Amino acid sequence: MLRFLVRRALGAIVILVLISAVTYFLFFALPADPALLSCGKNCGPQEVALIHHNLGLDQPIPVQYWHYMVGLFVGRDMPIGHCDAPCFGFSFANQQPVWDIIKDRYPDTLTLAIMGAAIFLTIGVGLGLISAAKQGKLFDKIASGVSLTGQSVQIYFIGPLAIYVLADQLGWLDHGHDVDWAHNPVGSITGMLLPALVMSVIFWSNYSRQTRSLMVEQLSEEHVRTARAKGMSSRYVFFRYALRGAMGPIVTIFGIDLGSVFGGAIITETTFGLHGIGQLAVQAVLQTDLPLEMGVMLFGATAIVIFNVLIDASYAFIDPRVRLA
Amino acid sequence: MRKSHYAAMLAVGALSLSACSSGGGGGGAGGTADVAKPTVQQITLGTAADSQGPAPAVDGAKKGGTVNDLEQSDFNHLDPGQLYVSNQQAIAPLYSRTLTNYKVDPKSGKTTLVGDLATDTGEASADKKTWTYHLKDGLKYEDGSAITSQDIKYGIERLYADFETEGPIYVQTWLSGTDYRKAYQGPYSGKDLPDSVISTPDDKTIVFHFQAPHADTPYAMQMPNISPIPKAKDTKQKYDLHPVSTGPYKIETYNPGKSLVLARNTNWDPKTDPIRDAYPDKWNFEISIPDPGLTQRLMAESGQDKYSLTLSQSANPTQMATILGDPKYKSRTVNQYQPFVDVLSINTSRVKDARVRQAIEYAFPMKQIQQTLGGEAQGEIGTNLMSPTIGGYKSYDPFDKVTHPNGDPEKAKALLKEAGVSNLKLTLAFANNEKWQNFATTLKNGLAKAGIDLQLQALDLTSYYTLVGKVNNPYDLYRTGWGADWSNGSTVLPPTEDGRQVADGLPNYSHLNDSHVNSEIDRINAITDLKQQQAAWEQLSEYIVKNDVPSIPYFYDKFFQIYGDGLGGVTYNQNIGVINANTVYVK
Repeated sequence: MLRFLVRRALGAIVILVLISAVTYFLFFALPADPALLSCGKNCGPQEVALIHHNLGLDQPIPVQYWHYMVGLFVGRDMPIGHCDAPCFGFSFANQQPVWDIIKDRYPDTLTLAIMGAAIFLTIGVGLGLISAAKQGKLFDKIASGVSLTGQSVQIYFIGPLAIYVLADQLGWLDHGHDVDWAHNPVGSITGMLLPALVMSVIFWSNYSRQTRSLMVEQLSEEHVRTARAKGMSSRYVFFRYALRGAMGPIVTIFGIDLGSVFGGAIITETTFGLHGIGQLAVQAVLQTDLPLEMGVMLFGATAIVIFNVLIDASYAFIDPRVRLA
Repeated sequence: MRKSHYAAMLAVGALSLSACSSGGGGGGAGGTADVAKPTVQQITLGTAADSQGPAPAVDGAKKGGTVNDLEQSDFNHLDPGQLYVSNQQAIAPLYSRTLTNYKVDPKSGKTTLVGDLATDTGEASADKKTWTYHLKDGLKYEDGSAITSQDIKYGIERLYADFETEGPIYVQTWLSGTDYRKAYQGPYSGKDLPDSVISTPDDKTIVFHFQAPHADTPYAMQMPNISPIPKAKDTKQKYDLHPVSTGPYKIETYNPGKSLVLARNTNWDPKTDPIRDAYPDKWNFEISIPDPGLTQRLMAESGQDKYSLTLSQSANPTQMATILGDPKYKSRTVNQYQPFVDVLSINTSRVKDARVRQAIEYAFPMKQIQQTLGGEAQGEIGTNLMSPTIGGYKSYDPFDKVTHPNGDPEKAKALLKEAGVSNLKLTLAFANNEKWQNFATTLKNGLAKAGIDLQLQALDLTSYYTLVGKVNNPYDLYRTGWGADWSNGSTVLPPTEDGRQVADGLPNYSHLNDSHVNSEIDRINAITDLKQQQAAWEQLSEYIVKNDVPSIPYFYDKFFQIYGDGLGGVTYNQNIGVINANTVYVK
């Protein structure tokens, strides 16, 4: 197991290095000059050259990339001051350390991810299980219809609608706001409930359909029939045999989804005005803020890669047939 | 002046990608119902008496409460030396004072330029090259220490440092020339600016020695970077996070991109301040609030949003019809001119024949473009390179655009025939978002009536100004814009129309290089009477539009926004194009 994890971790590092290189070099393929965003009104060649120098953009791109990667591990001395490891540099837009910005934004993303995942996993898998148990009955048909609808709608559509109905008109839920666990723990939960509910819709719809389909397939497997033939109760067979068989693909999807939302839920955060990693990503792109783009990209990619490794490791526990050779 | 970066890019992607942007509005049907024509308050220079505090009271106003400000974009900077864009200028007076500033009468809206830290708007030598300012008594920083003339000199010296790249450069270039950073490297070099440039004979007097006459110095001294900085508290770039307050509020917390809280500065003395009423106890800024959600929150005004406003951003165009169509909103809207003018720049390096440029002007469909950009509430059909807010504004319309707002294709065709041009194909570059896609399509349809075939070239939003700002760009037409920094053409025509200022990134986007215009710019700059100078700029503007046609002005931007009913004293500063925070109170 340890060998497997070490091997996967090394592979993950290679992937992250490749992602960082692609992001870094692609940024310079854009014709946009980030110096213009840090430049005053009459932004002539002299001012642009000065800003390029301040931002380190006057060096060859491979040299810039090398300095960036070295800084991640040992820190860097930059014109604006020293940047401790892990040094993601300073934002082009506001000259703040990127790592500090990410740390500041992460509580929102983390809370949204955990609450959203809890909701979509519970509702999605729950609906799928009941639908599978009640195949062809009214509940199954309604659940399938609801899931299909949920999968078809978009957050940017249901988000404003939910705010208007549930927050503005009925006043049942909070509009959605940033978490502040230190000063307002209850408000942190209530403020994140509506965004988490809205975000979960597109996820649980998928889980519901997947779970139902996998369970129906499992219930028709020979080992399940054998178990039934041996006189085991339907409930026992349903959960002990069929569900366990269906768990593998569900966990795989869950791991990938969780990695994605841990890396920032761009549309949900933007819709609800949450200051998370997803919103930061949008800001970085729109401001052609390379250090921020790199920081957010590496952070999100790391979350996805870590969850992928964890999924692979979890197979051994879910399905004993899997051997980590 | 620029509008704020990020809001613009999120909303329309073109308000201020670079120095020139203006804009406002966005794609979609703008309402036209019941749009009152805003009044233009020509600014005047105040006297020493006008410069005395306290500020005129607002009827019915009371002290206390918290104002919530919803901002789509971050301020990015708080260091006064780095402030320039409109959302920065909107909040600057709350925590930072300058030598002069705008005093808005809360009853009439009349704006007067008065001494802020200074006792008046300045004493000039006969040649207008030397300007002397005296500081008022009782001026203090938030820590209670006295503000001195040396602090103002130090604040200006800082502007020469290599990291101060975003603020205005008027005073630095007037003092030390266009290559001012070579002349002096800033206070961190261990040297001071010599007394021959700025002298401080005593703690309360500061004397500026400019290289040339500058009649509009009083206006330049209200720019947000002409502010005192205490040398002992200067932390270079880190000063940006927590500048020392000289205004009625100090920075309680600032979380870049998320929030800013301003709390009372107890060392601010209202008796020294003719501008700021400072009624609320606190200002709470929520940053990075997406639109149209932001506008909808202001409309709904539920909970604390009853006490909310946004200082510098116009209402989302998708909400215009609702706001204009429902009388219940009328009492809590602001709709006034901004100093920004949108223009269609014509690349004169490629479209060389003035008759062809005139043909484009005649064919330009003003009315349709106005509708596309959000209707009358978001902007008025404009034919002058300078906004109606500019001192000495003169209305001219050499191509009859007001009387022919749908364009005059027949005249355009005749001009093209006269120029010997047939089957004219031109390339229009536009920032690729909904607003400018609609703009491009409307323009293409309009010019097609005159037989001009417009090839549309969509450009990445973030790259737009980099690409059209290149001198050898491959486009014939592109939309740009400009806003005056103060009420004088000196901040509009020299940067945008001087043929000696054609270089990558500079705002002469049309590459106009007319020797008459160049010499006129030099002549007018040297006029020492401000009113004469303003009139001369207007004449030159008309000459350029009529004879050179380097660009087609089409839209005087307007500010249109709604605010929570729990607020009063919401006045407007048309010189910056934002709500005047100084008079706002919580009901």
